[in-house]
Amino acid sequence: MTPVRVFLVDDHALFLRGVRSELSDREAFDIVGSATDVDDAIASIRRLVPDIVLIDVHMPGGGGLSVIRNVVETHPDVRFLALSVSDAPDDVIAMIRAGARGYVTKTIGGDELAEALERTADGDAVFSPRLAGFVLDAFAGALPKPDDPELDQLTPREREVLRQIARGHTYKQVARRLSISVKTVETHVSAVLRKLQLSSRHELARWATDRRIV
Amino acid sequence: MTTAPAPTNWTELRTWLTRSTDDRVLTGVAGGLGARLGVGSGYVRAAFFGLALTWFGLILYPVLFFVSGGTAPSADLRRDELDQRQRLGLALMFAGAMVAFGSTNRWLGGLTIGAVTLIAFGIAAVWDRSLAGVAAGDQNQSRLRIIMGAVVIIAGMAVLLGSSDNLTGLGPVVLAVGITMAGLILVFGPWALRLAADLGEERRDRIRSEERAEMAAHLHDSVLQTFAMIQRTDDPKKMTTLARSQERELRSWLYGARGGEHGRMLSDALEDMADRVEQATDVPVEVVVVNDLPMGPRLDAVVAATGEATINAARHSGSMKVSVYAEVDAGVLEVFVTDQGVGFDPDEVPPDRHGLRQSVVDRMTRHAGTAEIISEPGEGTEIHLTMPLEAS
Repeated sequence: MTPVRVFLVDDHALFLRGVRSELSDREAFDIVGSATDVDDAIASIRRLVPDIVLIDVHMPGGGGLSVIRNVVETHPDVRFLALSVSDAPDDVIAMIRAGARGYVTKTIGGDELAEALERTADGDAVFSPRLAGFVLDAFAGALPKPDDPELDQLTPREREVLRQIARGHTYKQVARRLSISVKTVETHVSAVLRKLQLSSRHELARWATDRRIV
Repeated sequence: MTTAPAPTNWTELRTWLTRSTDDRVLTGVAGGLGARLGVGSGYVRAAFFGLALTWFGLILYPVLFFVSGGTAPSADLRRDELDQRQRLGLALMFAGAMVAFGSTNRWLGGLTIGAVTLIAFGIAAVWDRSLAGVAAGDQNQSRLRIIMGAVVIIAGMAVLLGSSDNLTGLGPVVLAVGITMAGLILVFGPWALRLAADLGEERRDRIRSEERAEMAAHLHDSVLQTFAMIQRTDDPKKMTTLARSQERELRSWLYGARGGEHGRMLSDALEDMADRVEQATDVPVEVVVVNDLPMGPRLDAVVAATGEATINAARHSGSMKVSVYAEVDAGVLEVFVTDQGVGFDPDEVPPDRHGLRQSVVDRMTRHAGTAEIISEPGEGTEIHLTMPLEAS
């Protein structure tokens, strides 16, 4: 299997070095480059076209958000996994809606980070328990209405999968508990991510307004 | 900034007569014209005002408006300021026009028109950039301009008062007081406004520096202290615990203020509980709450039971972390305490798990809730608590 080409973006050089040494021991990854500011990141990613960009949320000059927005325009195939110390709901939701395929916090362990990267490389979404909680919170109480054919309601099954993830279970455990395959879990999670990214949800907007995020 | 070429044909004239988008009172004609001519737009307005007192200005303004070929910000139209000779030329042209058209006016006497126009120019001089910060070298000049403007206003008023028999219907005393008041406001208004603006700015600065000081004090008491403690610790587990506990505190300080509106929330109580367990066991506890709600007596029991379950998992499961998930749905609060540890067979509860039965299961049932333990050796443990929330 060819290694996954990873690009790192973080304005803290020390943290960057830590992640680099953590991942370079693993066969599955090839770290093709890194950047510590927004402009450099956009230029390098466009030049190198990596499989995955592991991106920090808060950086001077617009942050990870502006990197994602700029790159997605020209290179829609590059996938982003957000990595941040912040787990404030507004940061998380903003990154996901900009196009990030997942969101993990910097307290994540090396093995978990590797798994998250592999999952993102395979095209799946990565939901941390907290992110799953935010999404459930955002769609809470939104029952499907027959006269409101919105595409982006969560189905009961998707909701159940998210709930299991929020409870701290791995995809494999979720699959076993719900008697479905891991592939099906991944499909559900990806569907939720797509709904988050595509929707101009009023639930999402209302949820954000309630918490004075927007 | 170069001297704009004088228009030589119709198209150029239309381009030359561009209305200002940012410096406008009515349509921006005066603003644009002032920028093109290189004089303050206030003087152009005063001139229009004077001409409007004769019949001519009432025609000229609309004509200029319809001839003008578009709009632009004043800065794009700006040219060099005129020198004294050019200014004098413009002033004489204007005075000539005033005399020519004023003499044919039957409505107001020529003296009244002249006086009011004089006042208008005085106002323009006083307000001209006197609000904007004046460059240091420019200060004397601007002071001179304000004084001259004031003198012109006062002179205009004196003339107006002298010819006040034209303004019938107003008692001369009322008129005198009113005109004097207006004069005072016009002369000192800009100065007073600037003073008020300065005061507001000063207040903002003070608030900002107070906030800064408060933040510095908080960071010192919390973050810096923790850093000092971490440096004195050799045990990596202890370091992690210190860092996590500080992170939690800082996070609630930064994003918090949740408690302000509804009082203490379930998520606050669970975070505090998680903090205590982390301090006691050095095992990270992750809390996720969906549909937060304010605390109440029943919830206290749930939080206490959750705490017992969490500390049990942290102490005995051997898991790297413990997840606490709480959700309110359809009037029922559900809490899951999950670990990825060794697990056990719930039917053969080992002696050290008796605490679990008493403090978790019994506590929940006493408050009309339930507790279920789902575990298998090697597969981790999940404790599922439910509590119906009666509408009280």
